[in-house]
Amino acid sequence: MIEVRDLHKSFGRVSAVRGVSFTANDGEITGVIGPNGAGKTTILRHIYTVLSPDSGTTLVDGFDARLERRQVQRRIGVLPDVRGLYPRLTAREHVRYFGALHGLYGEGLERRIEELMHTLVMEDFIDRRTRGFSRGQQMKVALARALVHEPHNVLLDEPTNGLDVATSRAVRELVRRFRAEGRCVLLSSHIMQEVAALADRIVIVAEGRIALQGTPEELRRATGLVDLEEIFMAATAGRAEQPALLAGDD
Amino acid sequence: MPTVAVVFLKEMVDNLRDRRSIAMAMIYPLIGPLILGMMISFVAGSLSAGAGRAGPMVIPAVGIENAPALAQYLSEHDAVLKPLGEEPAELVRRGGAPFVLVLPQKQASADGALEVRLVSDASRLSSVVPIAEMMDLLHGFEHEIATRRLQALGVPPEITSPLHIEEVNVGRAISLGATFLNMMPPFFIFTLFLGGVYLTLDTTSGERERGSFEPLMINPVSRSEVLFGKFGAGVVFTLIALSVQMLAFWTMLHLVPRASLGLMTPPGVFRLSLLLPICLPLALFAVASQIVIAAVTRSLKEAQTYLGLLPLVPAIAGMLLVFAPVNLHSVLAAIPTFGQTVLMGQVIRSESMSWAMIGISGLATLAVTMLLLAIAFRLYEREQILFPH
Repeated sequence: MIEVRDLHKSFGRVSAVRGVSFTANDGEITGVIGPNGAGKTTILRHIYTVLSPDSGTTLVDGFDARLERRQVQRRIGVLPDVRGLYPRLTAREHVRYFGALHGLYGEGLERRIEELMHTLVMEDFIDRRTRGFSRGQQMKVALARALVHEPHNVLLDEPTNGLDVATSRAVRELVRRFRAEGRCVLLSSHIMQEVAALADRIVIVAEGRIALQGTPEELRRATGLVDLEEIFMAATAGRAEQPALLAGDD
Repeated sequence: MPTVAVVFLKEMVDNLRDRRSIAMAMIYPLIGPLILGMMISFVAGSLSAGAGRAGPMVIPAVGIENAPALAQYLSEHDAVLKPLGEEPAELVRRGGAPFVLVLPQKQASADGALEVRLVSDASRLSSVVPIAEMMDLLHGFEHEIATRRLQALGVPPEITSPLHIEEVNVGRAISLGATFLNMMPPFFIFTLFLGGVYLTLDTTSGERERGSFEPLMINPVSRSEVLFGKFGAGVVFTLIALSVQMLAFWTMLHLVPRASLGLMTPPGVFRLSLLLPICLPLALFAVASQIVIAAVTRSLKEAQTYLGLLPLVPAIAGMLLVFAPVNLHSVLAAIPTFGQTVLMGQVIRSESMSWAMIGISGLATLAVTMLLLAIAFRLYEREQILFPH
């Protein structure tokens, strides 16, 4: 379970996150959606421990991301927006490297890599160096290394960004499988259809604040609108075209 | 496996597949020995022009018939005058002879002075030795004539020769050999500061630029473990580069024609291996300073610019020491790179060394390295280090 409580973060004079609070439950898919530059990636970065808040807390399975960093890191698997692969390492070496950093080794690690290879359909390129990989292949490598230690909490930042239809569909199936396995899934996207197709709970972020949150049914009741895209537009009205608040954020 | 070892092994594998890292560690260190080897061979070839000469020294000359006494003296000293059929200056200018001896148009009187002109091209290195040999002969002839005339006036020989000078011929060659050997430490300094530079760049600036730092640091690892893993890989690459260069220098010193140059005895393998304890602290210092620069700069390009200039600063001290060696005392030894440059020179020239100086130099450099690593650790703790600008 992931809890974000009254999170504040500024970069210089730019307020990127202003009092964000929400909860992502186990066995649910929570979708964080917002226009480009709304602060979605910044919120996720606090949860996965690479940013420290100015104030507020983020908890993963009850552990504070700032004070108990290692405990949190052991419980999360993250697909960051920038996949960040090593072009001279093979896909298998990527997964093995991250597995070793999680303390996995030997046959157990190799077996886990084989499992992930089959799950993510990586057989054709697992032993190729990642230079020149397609976006879909890059995403699969990044996802495989994020899942190597079988994390209970899975954070996916724009998981289908730049992927073709078939691969996007495969990702969605995988995300549903995580939910079925009882994992807590936190998904960030700027595409409403994607979040609508997957999320049990939706958190709409705009200008670093939460504009609206709840189950799709709760959002419909609150706004009186049926279509989730209309709800998103209403919640972020006048904010969607704001410039990015943080470089590298989307 | 400890996290530091996991990071270290990953960086080793990754960079052993990088052509630039390999070139920096294994190809570039060969450049110094190659350059120095060519210089020694060229200079040796030029300066030893007369050493292997068979038969008497042939001296191209004009007006031989007007200086019979000189011709006689030269023939007694294994040299012969050869009449010249062309303009002396033209012959020397086109390199046909290192010099031409121009004798007077008419014979000098018995007690007069013989007018002798030596036409030469001082810009030709190959002329240096033949001219020096000719001047020695001329001075010898002058001294002999002067002595003979004074004796004819009743002056005893001891009065005319109060000083008997025995010239040690190898003197000039040894100092030249020492100068060449003194050029080795600056090359070692360059290698120490460049051997691991691409690895350090790739593992800090490159990691940030390609966006792989962020996913790496989401793992349950401390930043100091990551830092030390990368640092270790940088040091290993630096030491590989240093070893390659040491081996190349050793090979070069045993291949060049040192006998003709009169070069000092080149250091053996054991002597050269003394460079390792001297250089190890400097390798740590070099990699730590590279990491600090890579971490503090905003982009890979900016880091490349500074890291390209970094070896120049310590190498300047070494270059000055080529021509003006200093005696090492503890304060100088404590300056990183300076102390090592002097100590490396002592190893290479097979001079006696002080273990105390090696200790002072190593400990002082290690202390500065620790400081740099503390700075690197602080830089690694910053949020900005993870994200490309």
